[in-house]
Amino acid sequence: MSHKRILSALTRRGFLAAASTLIGSGLLPGIATRVHAADKVIRIGFLAPLTGPVAAWGKPGLDGCQIWAEGINAAGGITIDGESHTVEFVGYDNEYDPAKARTGATKLIREDEVKFIMMLGGDTWPGVQPVADRTGMLFSTLLPSDLSPETTTLIAPAEVHPIYNVTGVEWLAENKPDLKTAVMCAQDDALGLPSVATYLAAFEAAGIEMQSEPLLFDPATTDFAPVVTKLISGNPDIVCLDTCYSDYVHPICEQLFQQGYKGQIISCTADFYDQIIEKTSKEFMEGMIFQFPDFDDPALNAEGINFKDPNKFFEVYNERHPGEWGAVSWEYASIMDLWKAGAEKAGSVEPDAVLAAMKDGGTGLHAFGEAKWWGKDLFGIDNALVGNWPVVVIEDGKAVIKAMKSIPDWYDKHGELLKKHMTAYNQMWNQRG
Amino acid sequence: MLKALFWIALAAALIALPHALSFSQQEILVFLTINVLLVASYRLLTLTGEWSLAHVVIMGVGAYASAFYTKEFGVFVPVSMLLGAVTAALVAMVLSYPLFRMKGFYFLIGSFAAGEIIRLLWKRFRDPFGGPKGLKGIEPMPDFSIGIYDFDFFEPVSYYYFAATVVAVCLWLMWRIERSPVGLTFHAVHWQDKLAQAAGVNVQAYRTLAFVIASGFAGLAGALMAHYIGTINPNSFDVEVMVFVLTWAIVGGTATFYGPILGCVVLTILNEIVLREMGFEQMRPLIYGAILILSILFLPNGLESLVERALKPFRRTPASGTPAGDAPPASPASDTP
Repeated sequence: MSHKRILSALTRRGFLAAASTLIGSGLLPGIATRVHAADKVIRIGFLAPLTGPVAAWGKPGLDGCQIWAEGINAAGGITIDGESHTVEFVGYDNEYDPAKARTGATKLIREDEVKFIMMLGGDTWPGVQPVADRTGMLFSTLLPSDLSPETTTLIAPAEVHPIYNVTGVEWLAENKPDLKTAVMCAQDDALGLPSVATYLAAFEAAGIEMQSEPLLFDPATTDFAPVVTKLISGNPDIVCLDTCYSDYVHPICEQLFQQGYKGQIISCTADFYDQIIEKTSKEFMEGMIFQFPDFDDPALNAEGINFKDPNKFFEVYNERHPGEWGAVSWEYASIMDLWKAGAEKAGSVEPDAVLAAMKDGGTGLHAFGEAKWWGKDLFGIDNALVGNWPVVVIEDGKAVIKAMKSIPDWYDKHGELLKKHMTAYNQMWNQRG
Repeated sequence: MLKALFWIALAAALIALPHALSFSQQEILVFLTINVLLVASYRLLTLTGEWSLAHVVIMGVGAYASAFYTKEFGVFVPVSMLLGAVTAALVAMVLSYPLFRMKGFYFLIGSFAAGEIIRLLWKRFRDPFGGPKGLKGIEPMPDFSIGIYDFDFFEPVSYYYFAATVVAVCLWLMWRIERSPVGLTFHAVHWQDKLAQAAGVNVQAYRTLAFVIASGFAGLAGALMAHYIGTINPNSFDVEVMVFVLTWAIVGGTATFYGPILGCVVLTILNEIVLREMGFEQMRPLIYGAILILSILFLPNGLESLVERALKPFRRTPASGTPAGDAPPASPASDTP
């Protein structure tokens, strides 16, 4: 009887009444936003995984963008040709699936009329590329391995993953010269492999010997005990966690702790490192090197840092999303800083005009300082913005920026090494696809 | 006469449908059409009583094969799609030798293992499968014109018409197969396997046949998908996608031909359109899971039971002892291993 009652309650009239009540009360933000949207609004698309295993590199970015938009709108919005415009983000959860990414790109461009789309990239970019080619829409990716000579409307302005990982190894070699042997593990996927090649080049440049071939594990791995046992069997000075997802970094660190490893750990990311400390110990995590700072770090108030008021941004973010700060929380917002500057300079929000303005002069104001548009060697196109990158170390349970190191300087000295390892792992642009 | 009118009206509605939708809904419609073929082919497999967890991987075999034939040998895309389907059927035939030594739950687990082996091979061998990143830049369907309509296969409407035609033909074939003596034997193998065996039916051969035919259609669905998106990777065919297929089949019901199709259509609209439009973007997995639980609790015989109930007054009582539906009743509770 009860299910019959439920079904009878699900009438069209009932549904519409409930929906209108929800819209009125603001509980359906997607619909409510459209109703109140002003005329002079610039819509920006956010096409990234918001659910599923890769959501940690999507959702925190959208949260960061909302904070960025509030700040910009409160300060008068974006000025285009003397007129002020507010910014609105339209999100689409692509679930890290190329088919859904294609659908999302179509919706954002043809229905929501966005002027720029930010993506995580990776597996989802090939699904979107035909849409980008047809429409000329400007896209950004966090993964420059998506770049190729054909991707003329795709830019990687926030991070040159995984090239910045060389800065961590360089700092390690300068500050802990007694560490001479390393091992590495990574998931065998589009994020893991170019990072493996980069770390191999960085270790070779730093004179650090690899004890064994990088251990590539299947992305479906859930039991890391045997991985770690094999990894540390030769008692290495350094364990490198490559660009593992946080779902891997956490259990690997736990296993390293449980299996008594006492050496140096280096990783691309250490998202939610406070949780790793809870599972291991402050002493165990002391000295771990990674690449993504907390934005309450005083070093980010230095001259030359272009991210506006990073400490305040971090504070607001943590108030709203406690415990969710991660590698990408600030990155999409920093891309928006660049896009805003480009649009204001161009006096237009049209994708080609903004792109031309952003790349004008061959340099741009990256979050961590002035940077240059670069990448022809590795990606076949100069659409990656590269400059300084922070080296972050955990000290007394807190991430601290220890240095800002130049990626182009490293590349000028060791570029051939990087190309050698990238080629060995089929990661050069002309080897992909 | 009434039947003919129904089919004409349905065809007209399906032709008009994309023009009533937004651009993104047209995209979803393309994927929905392809998924209809996938889930209908899955039902064909379940007719013999076996539920496989490798069906989506077999779909991937068709996708990879078709992409490979166009990339490496320059085979014309529609021909390559058919070859992809044949390849999927052949791979299924090879798999059937070890798999059909098992039954029920063991077959289910065995099929999962077989599927994972194929997926791992795609990941392991960068040449020719592209490794974890898969294949991209897959040749699209070549555009053409028929005078009154220009087919531009980048546009979802054009691809929908193409895919819908292919899927309609496939559904008709599957319908005919199910209604043929072969199809009736599939049912016998499921419901009365000992009796069928006693009557001289080679039960294993019929199970293999259902598996191979269903895999061929799934492979064709994969090929349709690959040449539309232009990229495929091993994750596109993982167990998560298989769970969606199972959900469509269970929520829709498998006793009738249209049950799983109904499940696929309703759940896709709910997940991809209704929940997204209502602003529940990030809560979709939660709501979707809740709907699955509720439907199992309150609709144990699937959505098809609602349709059957609604149509009951209009149906003539069968003259003999054949059931009112299209096939012998099969509730998920009793049918799923």
